[in-house]
Amino acid sequence: MGDSQYSFSLTTFSPSGKLVQIEYALMAVGSGQTSLGIKAANGVVIATEKKLPSILVDEASVQKIQPLTTNIGVVYSGMGPDFRVLVRKSRKQAQQYFRLYKEQIPVTQLVRETAAVMQEFTQSGGVRPFGVSLLVAGFDDDGPQLYQVDPSGSYFSWKASAMGKNVSNAKTFLEKRYTDDMELDDAVHTAILTLKEGFEGQISGKNIEIGIIGTDRNFRVLTPAEIDDYLAEVE
Amino acid sequence: MSRGSGSGYDRHITIFSPEGRLFQVEYAFKAVKASGITSIGVRGKDSVCVVTQKKVPDKLLDQTSVTHLFAITKYLGLLATGMTADARTLVQQARNEAAEFRFRYGYEMPVDVLSKWIADKSQIYTQHAYMRPLGVAAMVLGIDEENGPQLFKCDPAGHFFGHKATSAGLKEQEAINFLEKKMKNDPAFSYEETVQTAISALQSVLQEDFKATEIEVGVVRKENPVFRVLSTEEIDEHLTAISERD
Repeated sequence: MGDSQYSFSLTTFSPSGKLVQIEYALMAVGSGQTSLGIKAANGVVIATEKKLPSILVDEASVQKIQPLTTNIGVVYSGMGPDFRVLVRKSRKQAQQYFRLYKEQIPVTQLVRETAAVMQEFTQSGGVRPFGVSLLVAGFDDDGPQLYQVDPSGSYFSWKASAMGKNVSNAKTFLEKRYTDDMELDDAVHTAILTLKEGFEGQISGKNIEIGIIGTDRNFRVLTPAEIDDYLAEVE
Repeated sequence: MSRGSGSGYDRHITIFSPEGRLFQVEYAFKAVKASGITSIGVRGKDSVCVVTQKKVPDKLLDQTSVTHLFAITKYLGLLATGMTADARTLVQQARNEAAEFRFRYGYEMPVDVLSKWIADKSQIYTQHAYMRPLGVAAMVLGIDEENGPQLFKCDPAGHFFGHKATSAGLKEQEAINFLEKKMKNDPAFSYEETVQTAISALQSVLQEDFKATEIEVGVVRKENPVFRVLSTEEIDEHLTAISERD
């Protein structure tokens, strides 16, 4: 990728051994809108703020949480356009796997391949790292899983995690509230409460997005009406 | 050659600055404003209207060749605000893509699909060093079979959103403030109201009354879903209606 004139890596080591472009990419993630994920005993929930630049924007045209396969979904913090590229590549990789093995791709495999793409962009010529961190939620034969992938391409499995602007408060809140035997519904309530913590303005079904996957192994994004119902329960 | 150290090339190519910003992308936004014109788009109940200033800098120029409104297909229009040369290359590629889409899939390329394609292309320029971002903000309009009238705006960063109304160019923020007040209660504008809101927004923000030859207006309507550029006579009718109303 890139022109031959740029066949040198733009991400190089500093004298102290750091890859500064990756650190800067993480800054871009840290200034993005808050998102979080919680793994329950019987499912996973991911959620994000959906703050749009103006009331003139048609919020129905924006969907920050995207399905990658029928049983895997993803949310991001950071740069939206970079996220779209990763979604497209991941979906293609999932389909290629299915074509070859006639089986749904396991969550760990898809995460690994997506992370490999992100790593490539930290080493290849003429490109910059992705300015997004991803939270991948899936349910396969190994049960419910939640992974976080960073711009460097490193990934970890999490019981609960948060990213973006309010990350430290959100993580502290999650650490207090998380229990291993949480049910999916409880996890959704906790996710909403966590978002509420750092939320500026009135929270509603129109300015947050929530995606869930349960034992039915069907990832879906909640409608604004469903989110409003959960919000009412939380009040 | 110092690379990626934060003081070096982060302003010259699209690599991250120490705060995690992409300066080249931010400069591209400034280039859109530097063109000196403002554009406005408004979506009504069953129509979409876009308006832009028509500044002909030299009397010797052929006015008919000065335009920012382009038909991508018979049904899709694109208003390009910013650097005209970048706009022309974008339009050329969009026309090609829309034609191939029609050939490949057998139906017309929808508004949101074209917008996404433009935005994804713009994203590539923000990530690969060998091409700079385009200094163009593109407003795409059309009538979607399932969702009705659609107005999308794509910017140099690769973002794209659907809009009820939007603006681009020099007085972008003032225009958006004006439009937010007008569209606060989700009005469902008729065709005439849509066009007049767009034109009067431009007049209010630039604080001048236009002659029909000083602005360009493009529309799509549900009853006639082709993209059409209004003639000077039609623009005059709307301008008269606005001044009589006030």
